[in-house]
Amino acid sequence: MNRELIKYPFYIIMHPFNGFWDLKYDRTQRNNVIISFVILFLLIITNILSSEYSGFIVNIMNPDDMNSLMEIAYVVVPVLFWCVANWSLTTLMNGEGRFVDIFTSTCFALVPLIVINFPWIWLSKVISLQETAFYYFFSSFAVFWSLFLLFVGNMTIHQYSPSKTIGMILLTVVAMGFIAFICLLFFSLTQQMVSFVNVVYKELALRR
Amino acid sequence: MRKSKHTWRVLLLTALCCLIGASLGGTLAYADTGASSYNYSFWGRTVAAPAAYKATTVLDGKELGIGALKDPSDLHVTPDNQIYVLDSGNNRVVVFDSQFKLIRIIDSFMRDGKQETFNNPQGLFVTPQKQLIVADTGNQRVVELDANLSVIKVIDPPQSDLLNANFKFQPVRVIADQAHRIYVMSVGVFDGFMEFNQNGDFTSFIGANRVKVDPTELLWKRLSTRAQRSQMVMFTPTEFTNLDINDEGFIYATNGDVWGDTIKKLNAQGNDILRRTGYFNPKGDIRYTTEQGPARLTDIDVTHSEIYSVLDGSRGRVFTYNGDGHFMYVFGGIGNQLGQFKTPVAIERVGDDFLVLDKAFGEITVFKSTEYGRTLNEATRAYYRGDEEKAFELYNKTINMNANLEFAYSGIGKSLLRKGEYKEALHYFEESYDRGNYSKAFLLYRKQVLREHFPTIMTGIVVVIIAAFIGRVLWKRKKLRRMRGVSIES
Repeated sequence: MNRELIKYPFYIIMHPFNGFWDLKYDRTQRNNVIISFVILFLLIITNILSSEYSGFIVNIMNPDDMNSLMEIAYVVVPVLFWCVANWSLTTLMNGEGRFVDIFTSTCFALVPLIVINFPWIWLSKVISLQETAFYYFFSSFAVFWSLFLLFVGNMTIHQYSPSKTIGMILLTVVAMGFIAFICLLFFSLTQQMVSFVNVVYKELALRR
Repeated sequence: MRKSKHTWRVLLLTALCCLIGASLGGTLAYADTGASSYNYSFWGRTVAAPAAYKATTVLDGKELGIGALKDPSDLHVTPDNQIYVLDSGNNRVVVFDSQFKLIRIIDSFMRDGKQETFNNPQGLFVTPQKQLIVADTGNQRVVELDANLSVIKVIDPPQSDLLNANFKFQPVRVIADQAHRIYVMSVGVFDGFMEFNQNGDFTSFIGANRVKVDPTELLWKRLSTRAQRSQMVMFTPTEFTNLDINDEGFIYATNGDVWGDTIKKLNAQGNDILRRTGYFNPKGDIRYTTEQGPARLTDIDVTHSEIYSVLDGSRGRVFTYNGDGHFMYVFGGIGNQLGQFKTPVAIERVGDDFLVLDKAFGEITVFKSTEYGRTLNEATRAYYRGDEEKAFELYNKTINMNANLEFAYSGIGKSLLRKGEYKEALHYFEESYDRGNYSKAFLLYRKQVLREHFPTIMTGIVVVIIAAFIGRVLWKRKKLRRMRGVSIES
């Protein structure tokens, strides 16, 4: 059983069409969600390790700018935005996927980013400047693989045609922009309101 | 009651001072020098650096025994350390030896039997043979005198197809190369420097700056009508602001570009061949507020070993770079204290010392190198010569005085690389963020390690392969037995 759980993400990245179909219709939802969170966690770990321990040749990083908490946000926030935006659009556009399907399929699509990038953290320590071409090739390969999985996953769980899926993905990106904008607006307004109350309080408190 | 309050305050103040002192001591590399010197880190942050130069004396005309200098505008120092000061307001050239003892004053010369004088000259140059070239701006000519002050040639406004009909010859800076070609910087000329041959004939322009177009300006021009366009400012290349020549005959020039390269090294064809391999392109300050704007470079001085210094006229700072474009040190500033200026116009090196000429005050400030400055200069020179051993030692000394000087680590790394100490070299290249050399050292190090441990590695691989093979055979046998067992049961 446990062995099966570990094997499944690898099965899905190699056989995405069957894999995502199984994900939606055949497999227990609870296990999927657990695996998804594990994947997210591993991706965060990979990113943190990569910015900290990648070889000097490919990673000139200012230690002052390195922040593990921000690395968490860089993974969690885009995934969250993507899922919310995608769900909001696909429910309107006759998508068959539920929110949990979207979330799990997105997380499973991120597996190549871990599988490929993690070994390269250590390999990048033993390459020269000429050999960095391999490093960059593999990291872009990981990104494209993930994008492809995202595309297949989206297509399968919503039962869309390929062209419609591409359209929806583009729209989702636009919607993510909107969400980000509204979030910023919200925080900035809250901040101003808080500072206004704060100033009023100070005026009253310091008055004699 | 009152007294106790007072003591409390004193205690509190001392505590505060101690706290502030302690916190400052942690960040400043060399607080005791007290000078506001700095450098830029790889990340573009300003980091503290010990002062490389300190002002020792300020000399004005009265102290020098020649009467007050009036709007002096240029300086030149010959290879044997004679100092030529161009006293523009008094129309004369004053010559000192390296100890600032007066050698002579040149205020007139004989030409065709008549005595002639200068009229508001703005630039001068002295060749190694002591031939004096003066940009006699007010008289619209360039005068070349030999060591005995007799005229070699006088360059009058040139006639050429290359020049406009209403061209006005206003030479302000001059230099000459070893072949006695004279390069003149003239006001209002956008095509570069004017090159004159040995006979004083105008031959060509050299090294024009490129036209830089502001995108918003361009948009406005596109949108406006022809009549409006004719009223607008034309896109013209920026003028040069100063020039100098090194012993190899390359012209170093500064210009007034707002963005783009403000320092150029021109070869004989007028191409810019300045090496810009430092962390930042040499251009003076890289961090500035938008109100201040970037540095306005007004003078450049190049010395041996490709070390060159530029003067930022607006902030009165002198920046020095090495041949690779690494920022070495800075000194000066605008103000009234010793070592600060009001309107600095010219810088020159006398050996390792600096002279800075202040136009409004009519003063020359002498800067002498500190221990740190001397060591850094020496290290850079040793490195340029290829004397790795010496450079290693001197760079080590330098980083002991200033741990923030990142390019020095690269120098140490290169000497270690040459010695074959690859692992240590890697460390130093990493400290100086030098990827190219890091990679070079790493390849050698990797080869070394692999060669050393080749037997172990090979044995390991063979053992693993054999183990895998045996394991596989055993596993298959086991599987086979189990299958047989299953088949019997069923």
